[in-house]
Amino acid sequence: MLLNLIRKLAAASLLVFIASATASAQTLVFTAIPDEDETKLVERFKGIADYLSGELDVDVRYIPVKSYAAAISAFRNNQVQLAWFGGLSGVQARELVPGSEAIAQGVEDTAFYSHIIAHKSTGLDEMENLSDELRDKTFTFGSKGSTSGRLIPEYYIREAFGESPEDVFARVGFSGNHTRTLRLVEAGTYDVGAINFSVWDKEMENNNIDTDAVKVIWTTPSYPNYQWTIRGDVNERFGEGFSQRVQEALLAMDDPALLESFPRSGFIPVSNDAYDPIRVVGKQIGIID
Amino acid sequence: MLSYPTVRTSLIFTAIALVGLLFADIAITAANPWKDLGRFFLGVVTPDFFSTQGLATALLRTVAFAFVGVALGSVCGFLLALVYRAYPVRIFCAFIRAIHELFWALIFLQFFGFHPLTGVLAIAIPYSGIFAKVYSEILEEADPEPGRLLPPGTGVISAFLYARIPDCWVQIRTYTAYRLECGLRSSAILGFVGLPTLGFYLESAFSQGHYSDAGAMLILFYVLIATLPLWVKPKLLPVYILGAPFFLGDGMPIVWGNVTRFFTEDIVPSPLKNEEGWAGMGTWLGDVFVNQALPGIWNTVILTQIALVATGLIALLAFPLISTHFGGPIRRTSGHVFLVILRSTPEYILAYILLQLWGPSMLPAVVALALHNGGIIGHLIGRQSSSIALRPDAPTGLNRYTYELVPRVYRSFLAFLFYRWEIIMRETAILGILGIYTLGFYVDSAIQNIQFDKAMLLILITASLNIGVDILGRFIRRKLALQTMPTC
Amino acid sequence: MSGFDLTGLSASFGGERVIGPLSLSVKAGEKVALVGRSGAGKSTLIRLVYQEVESLASLVPQDLGLVNALPVFHNVYMGRLDAHPTWYNVLTLMRPFAKDNREVKDLLSELAMPEKVWIPAASLSGGQRQRVAIARALYRKSGLLLADEPVSALDGPMAHQIMRLLKERFQTSVIALHDVELALEYCTRIVGIQDGQVALDEPSEKLTPADIMPLY
Repeated sequence: MLLNLIRKLAAASLLVFIASATASAQTLVFTAIPDEDETKLVERFKGIADYLSGELDVDVRYIPVKSYAAAISAFRNNQVQLAWFGGLSGVQARELVPGSEAIAQGVEDTAFYSHIIAHKSTGLDEMENLSDELRDKTFTFGSKGSTSGRLIPEYYIREAFGESPEDVFARVGFSGNHTRTLRLVEAGTYDVGAINFSVWDKEMENNNIDTDAVKVIWTTPSYPNYQWTIRGDVNERFGEGFSQRVQEALLAMDDPALLESFPRSGFIPVSNDAYDPIRVVGKQIGIID
Repeated sequence: MLSYPTVRTSLIFTAIALVGLLFADIAITAANPWKDLGRFFLGVVTPDFFSTQGLATALLRTVAFAFVGVALGSVCGFLLALVYRAYPVRIFCAFIRAIHELFWALIFLQFFGFHPLTGVLAIAIPYSGIFAKVYSEILEEADPEPGRLLPPGTGVISAFLYARIPDCWVQIRTYTAYRLECGLRSSAILGFVGLPTLGFYLESAFSQGHYSDAGAMLILFYVLIATLPLWVKPKLLPVYILGAPFFLGDGMPIVWGNVTRFFTEDIVPSPLKNEEGWAGMGTWLGDVFVNQALPGIWNTVILTQIALVATGLIALLAFPLISTHFGGPIRRTSGHVFLVILRSTPEYILAYILLQLWGPSMLPAVVALALHNGGIIGHLIGRQSSSIALRPDAPTGLNRYTYELVPRVYRSFLAFLFYRWEIIMRETAILGILGIYTLGFYVDSAIQNIQFDKAMLLILITASLNIGVDILGRFIRRKLALQTMPTC
Repeated sequence: MSGFDLTGLSASFGGERVIGPLSLSVKAGEKVALVGRSGAGKSTLIRLVYQEVESLASLVPQDLGLVNALPVFHNVYMGRLDAHPTWYNVLTLMRPFAKDNREVKDLLSELAMPEKVWIPAASLSGGQRQRVAIARALYRKSGLLLADEPVSALDGPMAHQIMRLLKERFQTSVIALHDVELALEYCTRIVGIQDGQVALDEPSEKLTPADIMPLY
């Protein structure tokens, strides 16, 4: 009986390790922060994987993750070499992986902004500045690690009220992503929420928003956001100039269907420095040590 | 009645829970909670088994992770049980089982990433601690006489195999089979943090409102658990255990440097890393305690106490459903199905569903914890009540319930309840990941902010809290002279 | 060397002395019957002697000490676990060797239960269980038997048969018996215990049942 068990254990542990050793070393793996509904992400990034694979002559694979932190960890742990990060997650990731570079951002990402949206039952209307009318409403951010869904809105809320969101609002939640923030505020589960303009516009265009139930009441000033970030050691692994080739492939992307899925009108070069303002804000709020 | 210690204890706990209600955040915040609930049930009765790609794979992975994790955990737990008498071993086991599977998964994700080992260890480690404790209890209860009669000079292993194991074997097997069921639940919820099991797809389906897909997944999961005795046969077990590692999926390769980095850098408190010395350390600790640990502990304790009493109520209300002293076979069968469903739904998934439907507050968590744990305890004492022989002229209906049955099962009811106290607290803490402000919320926030030093400290605090409640629960059980066999 | 000479034997239970201090000396070849009222301390004395002479003796305790989940074969085989290396015992647990199998079966035939060899001890009757414990003691093949009411659950003819077998196979024995006739018939020396002390110690040919009755 006991012997049987020991035999089983030995075999099982051996197999786990064999299974672990079989993953190919010559696949470029990338991920993206889960800022929207998963089916949309999978659809979008499967397309990107095919495109990059054709341009770069290596296998390219996308893996979906469940949280912003998981995307950063995978990048840091070299389980993915390329990632589509938000402003904040990009800053965090590059800080953790010396030598990594922001190589491309969407045209829209140079001046990104977030909306504060409200359910109609609150009676809130468009406002010039964040005002005391918002006090004691319930409020939802997107993901805890989101730039447009949390960092920037929180920064402006703190600036306007001089207090943390927990003190300003009756209840503060984290919906998980932008699509869900929209659905929750639309359904009235939360009175008010923060969402990025790009998701809002896309959903609006697709007639996915019940405009009788929810509307934009305030918009943040602009800030730099999403970017492609690549690890510094890809050149050693995939050959000299690989990082550059990835950048060129991304900048050359002109398939309207692919671009539309982001949605971005195109990609332009960017450098790490462009995200300094995000780092400063992150430090102020205490998200970055 | 007040002179009974069991009654007094029950009243004290009820009072604590009532006071807790004053401080608790109990509300339904969704604008249309019942409409959503209706859509959900509509989804469950109109399941769509074919829309989610990879649902079969997800089920296979769920089973594979459960098998490998539970097998590894039971072997390690068995070895630990042999030396369980040693105090350090006891503490070690109490510690590893005080940390929830999901927390272990979150820790391993940071350095193994999406490697199968993450999921396997996340199950195997806490299960080892639980197995060690229960196995050692079973071994200890075995009759010592045959061992004493062995000829002197008998080898330790021979003595153990002949005189100790055989009489415990049935109990060990039953308990291990039972843990396999728990393992399936654990394995399913690991998907919520990104492992390729059922929870992964369930979360996606739910968050996007695809209730028919979610309903299909839940139904398949119930079928999987309900048919467990049909497809898990002792003879097939070696096949499953040897085969399971092949179905864990590839995941991503492990980079061992990450492991070193995690232990030598990531979890070192940032003031020490930045050489701010002990003064900086004080500020850092103070900040974590005041802003995260204390509110987390407060909410965790309040929610636990309310959920504990609610669990008790549900259990007392539910046990007649399967008791042979009430109703006919049809009602009992449907009662059985109902309780099995409650029992099979992991509280994490139940809480997740209710949070989606009712909006964020402690209410979904309380209801989820009470339904799941109440279902388990109700099932156990319902079965027990069926073995009570009533006199032929015993009263019926409510009088039978209050005068004949409840007094007879009340002690074991309390025993089960206090046994599950620690389990409820462990789950309460983890529900924070879903957005309720218990300790898990702060652990998750620290991980989202890539502050693993804070996360580890908070996990340690959570573990200590669980160990404390475990000790208190055992103390009360001893004080009231309540005996029970473990449930998961 | 199967006799023993023990002095200062005593035992307390819950702070109260239940037996001794007493001395007991048994020469090789003697068959001693311990008689006395139940609760007089016979079982305790058997235990005490066993603790002193452990490696020499085969013990049949009153509660038998069978492993219920194991078949009769293994329960008997356990009498000689020390005679084999661990790997041999482990293999035997899965599948016994033919030689041991034969030996145990022969032994069980003598005890009139050869057909029970693969039955788990749990499903045997009281008398059968008692014979399994006796078979275990016989299988051990030591020169000294310490037995506590070994035939209490057996019917008359069977009890005699077993007592005869025990007398024949063990050079020396100390057997607690409440049946005075069996004691006189199969033992050479009668030791009566009363209130934890030796109250009678005579060769059995000098005694009649009537001499022993006062002890009860």
